[in-house]
Amino acid sequence: MAKEFETRMIVISPSSSVTPDQVTRLVHSLGLEITVKETCYGAMIEGGKGDVGKALAAIRKLDPDRIFTKVRGFPIGDTRRCRAHHGSRPGFTQLEKEWECLRLVDKGVSAAVRNEKVCEAPRPQKLPVKRLKEIIDEVSK
Amino acid sequence: MKVFIVPPNSLILFDLVERYGHEPLSLMGAIHEKVVNPEIESPPINITPEDVKKGLKYAGIEVPSGIRGRLAVWGPLVDQADAAIIMEEAPFEFGCVGCHRTDEMVRYYIRKRKIPFIVVRYPNNEEEAKVMVAKIKEFLEGLK
Repeated sequence: MAKEFETRMIVISPSSSVTPDQVTRLVHSLGLEITVKETCYGAMIEGGKGDVGKALAAIRKLDPDRIFTKVRGFPIGDTRRCRAHHGSRPGFTQLEKEWECLRLVDKGVSAAVRNEKVCEAPRPQKLPVKRLKEIIDEVSK
Repeated sequence: MKVFIVPPNSLILFDLVERYGHEPLSLMGAIHEKVVNPEIESPPINITPEDVKKGLKYAGIEVPSGIRGRLAVWGPLVDQADAAIIMEEAPFEFGCVGCHRTDEMVRYYIRKRKIPFIVVRYPNNEEEAKVMVAKIKEFLEGLK
């Protein structure tokens, strides 16, 4: 059973104009044997791996660079996680942080699609001890 | 190819690995197999005697049980991996919160396995995000 079905989180970047409702309606319209649940960040879908793959391909077409996905450990509505059953949500901080970061990452994905040249900025160096001592001397005068 | 991601629950890394044509090895996938098993009750009663043995393969008995428990899940993923992507300098709430020692041991284990890996920085602005995605894309395309 575990090998056959898969639960996926569909997360829409904050910079996308696609809404969770659009994603949910699209999945319903595909006529696949999968469960879909609309969420604040996008949607969750669950079903056989083949059907989930087909749904993902269709969902990505809505906004290829701004729709992200990952598998979810717990099934949809699992009483150990579902809020309706007062389940705990230990993964929420991670999801919130990554959702915020997606507005940057989608720019990176778009740039990669365009094969845009990028150059890495040099890392800020640590203050040398000699300079720190000079600053201490200057301040303590 | 199978690519292990650090943090192993990252949406961004999982998506990018899949987007560029590889199979991400994630914590969610490993947990999925555990939680849908009807023999297992519910967290935290989700550990089996077999998991304890697995954990001991990656960390000695003197290592705290929390680290061994985490490594029992993460370790087999690193064993399967053909490559790895490590994200560094992320804010504290990014990734699996709670055990930095496990993070360190996993990074050590990746290096010890001598599989190809890349270290990227958590992006704080658009330019850094472009650099991060470009690096990951180049690395993953180079694995083919």
